[in-house]
Formats: sequence, C-alpha cells, structure tokens
Amino acid sequence: MTLYAGVALVAAAVVLFILQPVVKGIHASLDRDDDELTETEARKRVALLALRDVEYDFLAGKLDEQDYRSLKSELTAEALAALEADEASKSGGGSDEALEAEIARLRAGLKSGTPCPACAYTNADGSRFCSACGHALAAAVAG
Amino acid sequence: MTILGEFALWISLPVAAWGMVLGYAGGRTLRGDLVLSAERSIYAVFGLLVIACLGVGAAFLGDRFEYWYIANYSNTNLELFYKVTGLWAGQRGSLLFWAVLVALFGVITVFTNRTKNREFMPYVAGVLQTIMLFFIVVLLFADVNPFERLEFTPADGRGLNPQLQNYWMTIHPPTLYLGFTAFTIPFAFAVAALLNGRLDARWIQLTRRWILTSWLFLSVGIVFGMRWAYEELGWGGYWFWDPVENASLLPWLTATAFLHSIQIQENRGMLKVWNMSLVLLTFLLTIFATFLTRSGLIESVHSFAQELKIAYIFLSFMGAVLAASVVLILYRLPELRSENQIESFFSRESAFLFNNLLLLGAAFSVMWGTMFPLISEGFTGQEISVGPPFFEKVNFPIGLVLLALVGIGPVIAWRRATKRNLQKNFTIPVTVGAVTAIALFAMGARHELALVTWSISAFVLTIIATEFWKGTRARARIEGEGYLLAFFHLITRNRRRWGGYTVHVGFVLMCIGFAGAGYNTDSRFNVEPGDVVEVQSPFGHMYELTYEGLSMSIGRGERNLLWQAIATVSVRRDGEPQGVLTTEKRQYTNRDTQPMTEVGIRSIIQEDLYLILSAMNDSGGALRNDPGAQGIDLQVLIKPLVNWIWIGCLFIAIGTVIALWPSVDRTRMAREKAVGSTEPAAAGAD
Repeated sequence: MTLYAGVALVAAAVVLFILQPVVKGIHASLDRDDDELTETEARKRVALLALRDVEYDFLAGKLDEQDYRSLKSELTAEALAALEADEASKSGGGSDEALEAEIARLRAGLKSGTPCPACAYTNADGSRFCSACGHALAAAVAG
Repeated sequence: MTILGEFALWISLPVAAWGMVLGYAGGRTLRGDLVLSAERSIYAVFGLLVIACLGVGAAFLGDRFEYWYIANYSNTNLELFYKVTGLWAGQRGSLLFWAVLVALFGVITVFTNRTKNREFMPYVAGVLQTIMLFFIVVLLFADVNPFERLEFTPADGRGLNPQLQNYWMTIHPPTLYLGFTAFTIPFAFAVAALLNGRLDARWIQLTRRWILTSWLFLSVGIVFGMRWAYEELGWGGYWFWDPVENASLLPWLTATAFLHSIQIQENRGMLKVWNMSLVLLTFLLTIFATFLTRSGLIESVHSFAQELKIAYIFLSFMGAVLAASVVLILYRLPELRSENQIESFFSRESAFLFNNLLLLGAAFSVMWGTMFPLISEGFTGQEISVGPPFFEKVNFPIGLVLLALVGIGPVIAWRRATKRNLQKNFTIPVTVGAVTAIALFAMGARHELALVTWSISAFVLTIIATEFWKGTRARARIEGEGYLLAFFHLITRNRRRWGGYTVHVGFVLMCIGFAGAGYNTDSRFNVEPGDVVEVQSPFGHMYELTYEGLSMSIGRGERNLLWQAIATVSVRRDGEPQGVLTTEKRQYTNRDTQPMTEVGIRSIIQEDLYLILSAMNDSGGALRNDPGAQGIDLQVLIKPLVNWIWIGCLFIAIGTVIALWPSVDRTRMAREKAVGSTEPAAAGAD
C-alpha cells in the first residue's frame, strides 16, 4: 500500500513539475545574451588573437624578422578590416567619423602600398627601400 | 525500493518523450513555456533514473536473487564493494548507468545555461531527451530490463566473474562511460546549432569544456583498462586489439581529431562541415562502443542472434541519427562554407589537417579490423578474425607520423612556413633526434621500430622543451619577471596552449613506453623450492630469483574462493635483496572456469619484473599439501619502460586539467577586451 502511495506521489510530483510552465504560462527566456560577442566582434577578436600569436612567436624567437614582418602586415590588414566591419555594424553607419577616417586612411595606405619583392612586407607609398629588409623598391617598380 | 525503482523507470519513459517533443516544438515556435517544461523534464528524468539506480543497488545489497540481473552478477558471498559497483558489472546495469549519466550531464547543462545561451537550449533539451528516450526504450523493451524477474528465486546467485573482481575493473568502465556520455553534450549543441542556424564557432566555444572533459575521461578510462589487462589477465600485455578495447579506442581517435580541428575553425573559420561531421561521428561511435561492448556482437554471430532485439534497436537508432544529421548538414551546407583557405602545404593548418586525416585513417583501420570477422562471415560464411599483426602493421606507422606531427605542429608557422622558419625551428630538434638514434644504436639497441620511436620522441621532446624555454625567456625579458614566476605566468595566461603541450609530453612518454615492448624478455623455468634462477634485463640489471615454495590455502567459500596456490619468490636485483614477490593460481567456486592467475609485479622506473605461476607440476599433490609436490613452472618476464605508459597518462590528465581550469577564460576575455581597444592603433601605426 505504502509502495503504491509512494509511486503515485513520485508520479504526481513529476507531472506537476513539468506541466506547470505550460499550464501557468511560465516562460523561459529564449533571447540571445546581451554580453555575448556579436559576429563582427568575434571576428575582430580572432584577428587580434592571431596578431598576438605572431607577436608571441616572434618574441619567443620562432619567427625571424622577415617572416614576422610579412605575416604581421598581412594580419594587420585583416584585423583592420575586421575592426572596420565591427565599427560599421555598431555605429550603424558612421558616428565616430574621426576613427572611420583614420581606419580608411590606414587601409588605403596598406592597399596601395608597395609590397617588397624580397620579403613581401607592404611599404608605404613612395618608399624607395623596404623598411623591413632594405631591399630596393624603386628597382622593382621600374623593372 | 527496488519496485519503486522499476516504476520510476517506467514513469521516465513518457516524461522523456514529452520533453523531446516539447524541446523541438519549443525551438520551432519559440515558446518559452514549452522550453521550460522540456528543461524541467530533464531534471525529472534524472531524478527518476536515480531512483531506478538506487533500486538496482538495493537489490544487490539485499541479495534479491529473484531478479535476473542480481542472480547473474552477484551472490551472497560477494564482497560488499563489488555489490555496490554491481550496477555497471553487466550489460543491463551498464545501460541504466549510461542513461543516468546522460541525464546527469543534461541536468548540469540545463542548470548552467538557465540564464545564458538560451537560443540553443530548446533543441539541446530536445536532443538530450531523444537520447535518453532511446536508452529508456532499450532498457524497457529490448529484453535487457535490469528489473526483470526470474520465474523462481534461486537460493544463490552465480556471482561475479572473478576477472572483474579487480580494483581497476571497478573504476575502468565508469570512467569510460563518463567519457562517452559527456560527449553527448557537444553533440546536442552541434545539432542545436544546425537546427537554429547559428553556425559560427559559438557551439564549439560553449562546449569546449565538455569536449575536453569527455576526452580526459576517455583517455584515462582506456589507460585504466590497459592497467587492468596488465595486472589481471596474466600474460604481461596491456593491449590486445580485441573488439571491446577497439570499441573504446574508436571514439577516442575521432574525438582527438575533433579536439584539434576545432582550433582551425576558431582561428581561421575553416573546416566547419568537417567539425560537424566529426562531432556526429564521435557521438555515433560512443553509441557503437556501448553496443559492441554490451551486446556480444563481435565474438560470434550466434550470440548476436540471441540479442537480436537490442541489436535492431541500436542499429535503427544509429541509422536514424546518421540520416538526420546528414540531412541537417546538407540543408545547412551553404552556410557552412569556409571563410578561408589553406594557403600552403607547409603551414600549421595543414599540419592540423594531416593530423586529422591520420587519426581518421587509424579509426577506419581499427573499425575495419574489428568488424572484419562479421563481414567475412556475412560473405563467406567463415569467421576470419584479423589479429594484432593487422592492427599493428597499419597503426604503428600512423602512430609514428602522428608522433612526429606532435613536434612539428606547434612550431610551424600559421598560413605558410618559409624555409627560414623551418630551418630556424627544426635544425636543433632534428639533430637531437638523429643523435639519439645513433647513441642508442651505439649502445646496442637494434630493434628498428623502437629506435625510430625513441628518436622521434627525442625530436618532439626537444621541440616542446624549447617552446617552454623560449616562452619563459621571452616573458621574463618583457615583463621583467624571474624565470620561475615567468614560467608560472606563461602557463596560467594561456592554459590552452601549455596544457596542450603537457598532454603532448604525456603522449610522447606513452609512446616511449610502448616502444619498450620491443625489448620484452620472456623466460620459463621449472623450479623446485630453493632453486635460484637468473635473468638479465635489457637495462643490464641482473635479477636473481629464489623460489621459496608453494603455499596452498583451501577457501571456505569466503570471497568465493575454492583454493588458492601461492608461489613465493624472493628477488635480488644486482645482488641487493628486494623482498619477496608472490604469484598465484586461484580457483573460484562460482564459475566453471580454468584456474585464474594472479601475477607478481615489481616495478622500477626502467622496467617491470613480472612473474607468472604458469603451471604446477602436480596440482593434485599440491592441493593435498604433499611436500614433494612443490615444483612449478615459473615464467619470468621483463617489461622495459612499462611505467612510462602510466606516467604519460598522468601527464595527459594534468595537461587536460590545466587546459580545462576555469576562470582563466573570463580573465582573458576581460584582458582582451581591454587590449582590443588599444592594440589596433599600435598595429596600424607599424
């Protein structure tokens, strides 16, 4: 007798417990967290982490100067793109104009810059020698 | 209590079904009340399954032999310890235990995510309940109900198989099960991501800890099993490539691949489909492992026929999971495309990918070899099993390349490595590896496989040690810290990286230990009391063993022992006394088996001395305690470097715990957020 009472009690408790939200209309939240990184933020974070890793590899002596410079210029461009995308998505079209302009300037510089034929480092426009390895750039442009 | 447990199991069936339906429905309609009800149903199923487990436990402790499960896995004389652990001694209890673990992890997941990651939770609850429902259905309808009653009550049970009455055997299965079941959570999140369309790396970040936990338990569980085999099976090996062992190795291989490939997705946004497929495959293999271990499928197709029902249920479930996942992945394929491409064959990405292909190749070969008896019987009617030579021939080369990759991966550059990068990082390690090989050869080592393994191991250890050294030095220089502090901070600031390296060290140590098997020695002696035998070990130790005699004890039914023959041997190593070792033959009352062997092991860091009482010259006479019947066959094995396998496992555990350690992510996250606002300017100014 006590056994059946026990079983009935357990069953009733379970039914009450799981039906209550539906019957009483208690809702669990299904929203995304506010403090969670957005997609552009996440991409920015990854890009910055990659930059940090290259920095670390260089400082630890795993990358030499040339490899470091070429990787870094590449990653910096990517990080900037990510940063730009993130800013754009946040401001919804440009409230922080000074920053936007700064980024655009840097980006333009990187895009139009002269890549060194010897080490692939992107030099600012008008450079005559690579600032990473010293290779003559004018010759490359001319030739 | 037992009856209440049985009822609880029945009640859990509709509750799980309810939760499953509401989980999916809640995810589809985004109705919070349905989701809350589904989440609560996970708590409820957990509670009910715990009651069911307690019911089985009570039946064990109360010697309730009217239950089939108790009658077959216990008897009155069984030690209390083994009664308590009886829940996972056999198939039926293990399945229940499995279900309760899934429920436990489900409860932890639902509780920790009650206020966050809410967009995943409806489907996570739905998937978890689907899996639990499956196990409950198996328990209730596949003739494996642990509460099944016999038509009569036997006076006593059959007792527990003596081979299972071993300390390692009580902790090995639950450890493995923890590993298997913990992997359910990443699987549930992956499916939820496919269903709700959040296909970025979020589901991976959320379940990283579960993945690592699962991997930790799997690794440690497998090594516990090796340890059990080494101590208990009595012929000195730790791995036999038998189906049950292979079954646990399969998900480990794919989980290891997954653990590596998710880093590429996180860092480079690549391999999304691959990761989804790996998480799915690993989950299926954990189910497959249970199925294989607990259905007797492989030993013979005949025992398979006896368990037809459970086989069909398992196979249809696996088929359904596979089909559903493939459909989901295909459906989401356009959103799962890669954000980047591998730029060069010589890059860290490509090393990762190569590691993945090798691990999958190994998994495939193990799978093929394990299933071969079944396949051959299906086609030719003859059961042909492939032995260890097959597995070793295929997997040793794969293992060696993987071992080398452990060294190459961490130092080769991301994206593309230049010749200079390779030279800079590999010149010294390759030299060390080569010098090791030459030195060992000069010292007389001629076993090719062992030489290659040790040489590669030296290469890898050099690389990892250099990593630790360079990292510490760089940190000490930049932060102006002392070396010890810098070392400590190095690890705590990037536990993932350094925990990973520690795991790698453990893996290398294990490989060094495995290669030691190339120098195993095995000698047999027929000895009478007082005889002295000498055995020289490969490390040059001289063991002097004096056989002291045989002592016989007739059991009085305690611990189910009929008799026990104990051979005592005193050991001297290089002339120094090292105490005595015993090795035994035991005959148990409750099983109609051959006498069991208990071995004697004396372990030092270089090697194990492993004694086996392989036979008694006159067992009848020995049983009567005839003074003239003390002669035995004594088998003396030397097992070089075995200890390094267990030490390696310890490193693996420590490394995984370092990588798992909480709080670090949060501090890092905060730091990076701060860094994020200043660093770009500095970087751009370069």
